[in-house]
Amino acid sequence: MEMITENAGLLLDAIGTTLLMVVVAGVGSLILGVLVTVARVSPIPILRRAAFLYVQFFINVPLLALLLLAVFALPDAGLILPLLPTAIIVLTVYESAYVAEAVRSGVNTVAVGQIEASRALGLTLWQTLRLVVIPQSLRAVVQPIGNVMIALAMNTALAAVVGVVELTSRVNKINLVYAQPIEIFTGAGIVYMLIALAIGLAAGRIERKVAILR
Amino acid sequence: MSSKKPGAVSYLYEVPGPRGRRRILIGSIVSALALAGLVGAALWQFGVNGQLDADRWLPFLDVAIWQYLGVGLLGTLQAAAIVAVLGAALGVLLALGRVSPLRWLSWVCGAYIEIARTIPVLLLIYLMLFGLPQLGINFPVLWKLVIPLTVANSAVFAEIFRAGILSLPRGQSEAAFSLGMRGGQVMRLVVLPQAVRNVTPSLVTQLVSLMKDTSLGYIVAFTELLYRGQVLSSFNHLLIQTYLVVTIIYLVVNGSLSGLASRLQTRPGRRRAAMTLPLPTPGGSSTKKASNV
Amino acid sequence: MFSSRLFRRRAAALGAGVAVTALALTACSTGSSDNVPGGDDTSDASSVEEMLANAPVADESLFTPGSTMEKIRERGTLIVAEALDAPLLSQQDPTNPENVSGFDAYLAQLLSVYIFGEPSVEIVPPASETREALLQNGTVDVVFNTYTITEERAEQVSFAGPYFNSGLAVAVPADNDEINGIDDLGGKTVIVGANTPAVTAVPEAQPTAELIDFATDPQAVQALLQGRGDAYVQDYVLLASNAANNDELKVVGQPFTEEPYGIGLQHGDEEFKKFINDWLLEIQESGEWGQAWELSLGTVVESEIPTPPSIGSVPGS
Repeated sequence: MEMITENAGLLLDAIGTTLLMVVVAGVGSLILGVLVTVARVSPIPILRRAAFLYVQFFINVPLLALLLLAVFALPDAGLILPLLPTAIIVLTVYESAYVAEAVRSGVNTVAVGQIEASRALGLTLWQTLRLVVIPQSLRAVVQPIGNVMIALAMNTALAAVVGVVELTSRVNKINLVYAQPIEIFTGAGIVYMLIALAIGLAAGRIERKVAILR
Repeated sequence: MSSKKPGAVSYLYEVPGPRGRRRILIGSIVSALALAGLVGAALWQFGVNGQLDADRWLPFLDVAIWQYLGVGLLGTLQAAAIVAVLGAALGVLLALGRVSPLRWLSWVCGAYIEIARTIPVLLLIYLMLFGLPQLGINFPVLWKLVIPLTVANSAVFAEIFRAGILSLPRGQSEAAFSLGMRGGQVMRLVVLPQAVRNVTPSLVTQLVSLMKDTSLGYIVAFTELLYRGQVLSSFNHLLIQTYLVVTIIYLVVNGSLSGLASRLQTRPGRRRAAMTLPLPTPGGSSTKKASNV
Repeated sequence: MFSSRLFRRRAAALGAGVAVTALALTACSTGSSDNVPGGDDTSDASSVEEMLANAPVADESLFTPGSTMEKIRERGTLIVAEALDAPLLSQQDPTNPENVSGFDAYLAQLLSVYIFGEPSVEIVPPASETREALLQNGTVDVVFNTYTITEERAEQVSFAGPYFNSGLAVAVPADNDEINGIDDLGGKTVIVGANTPAVTAVPEAQPTAELIDFATDPQAVQALLQGRGDAYVQDYVLLASNAANNDELKVVGQPFTEEPYGIGLQHGDEEFKKFINDWLLEIQESGEWGQAWELSLGTVVESEIPTPPSIGSVPGS
């Protein structure tokens, strides 16, 4: 207990950092993921190809390797940012590949008739995507995207390995001082579970609200 | 996963006419230029910072370095194989428990799955590393990596198997029961074999995911690919080149696995016909309409 | 903790790795490492071999029945907790993984010669947090891991030695003229190795300094040169080695702490401790201690062979 009260400020700070990463990378990966999906279904072959490679790359390379690369290699390509923004960007592009996979599977759930109907109404490709396909795809994949967001929340812990002081890194440091690993790490685990629970509940609510009943 | 596969996507636009083709051509040129510019800018930045110099890459022509990383890759594959076997076995048991009519068993398995799915693996590893020695328990380093990964992955496997079991039409088990099979037999002989076949693509995808997870062996100093990359980079001082090489190795190995998964997914297979029967989920029927055209 | 620990460490740091990398350490030729730029293995393999060939071997009478050293001799290999990624201290050569070089590595090999008459070492890369556990549950026989002797640690493990005195120093990019030592670090961003002594020593000396920690020494150097921090605090020997390999980096001021490194043993094993202390004295007198220093740290530090610390001179040893 005393280790919690003595470190309350630091712990709250760290939880704040974790939440910041989850929210910013979460919103970012949603936007980026949808854009990648649009590229993947576009009529321009090279964009489809590039989006495909983008998704394959991030789905097949470990996040930890990407974090190490980004923190140490990007500066040599002239891109240097503080650690936290770097970690958030890496998480965003990494999870956006998973979002893109989920949204693409949603695109396939949109009935062909819908698309044919919008074309018959004279909607352009962009209008069809924006007004008909994407909204319905997103509705169909609320749960899968919720799972991606939960995975994202878990993955923020890896930022600890490149020097970002978020929850996992903070409790590890506290453990070095107090040497009560079981209490400390279990406590942190409960915080992560609460974050995941919140995401899960939110996804459930959103799904009930937007679900398309056929 | 190729974008050429049929599906809703191919209905988004007509076969382009002359104007459409011209627009696509312009779009292709513009995006090709943009992409080339992006790649070029990155290469140029690397170049002016000396990261492309030959003497920073030539060391990787040395066979000994590839042997060294190869041993790391073997460690990665070994850990992944153990986690896959243990995680899948535990996952089947959890899935069976989850769908069991025994309320308490279903509840316990459900609770385990939810908890294990929502705790970062890194935290589980720390708990193993620091917590267990305090209790006087110590495992070889391989198991310090494998146990936390198995805990986390078994929950995911359980969800995959459960989805597979639930995806089977009720008629399958009803028919088996009417043939006089008992519950265990129905599961073992009828439901599970079909369920596993149905979820094979998801299983392979999960295999890729757990291969990536083994990179956390870096943290426990287990001899896997990323850890060996780390030792190599402290020896040759070529961090960027070393981590790029390691990333490419992961990409090649996992990419082949992912390719396998997508081939399994797109090969229709006669047996999968069962899957196209109405699913218990709302909205499922339209799903099938689109993807089976 | 020179680098060793420091260095990989975030990882390890965090973790404890008990890797079961069994490495038979026979000093081998360095093979093709000559085309690896910046390789730290400047030591001459044949002189290492020569040092080991001429090193003292324990008298038969020292292996009292039932003692730890007798059990180790029965087993035929000495199991040592030491790093694999700490240049000059204990660094594995990836082009020849059998070859682990550096001051800690050479001392471990010398100790194995003392016991068996020939080098035979198995390495378990540790994390600094679990070195105590590794000793307590008998995973390793000894720890050679820049293991600073402290009274707190001495409650859990026993220390032979100290075998080396080091200290923390400050490094900055070569073009920095404002920082000339620990006194100038107030309010600055300071890079440290995760789980190194610097993590606590810097705030004690400069409470307003802001710390960022990196897992390994190469990462920390990279971060310093990329401007993620104003200075890098690390063991001075390691810093000297970095500065020798890279002229974008320089060491400023004198070491501001004392880090006496000991050889970790199971708590209360007085017999084994005396055995190792006697061996330390012997290699100090017969010159192998100095040779090990010359072949490793001595290649980057321009100074005479230092005087080894006197055994048992530190509280906790």
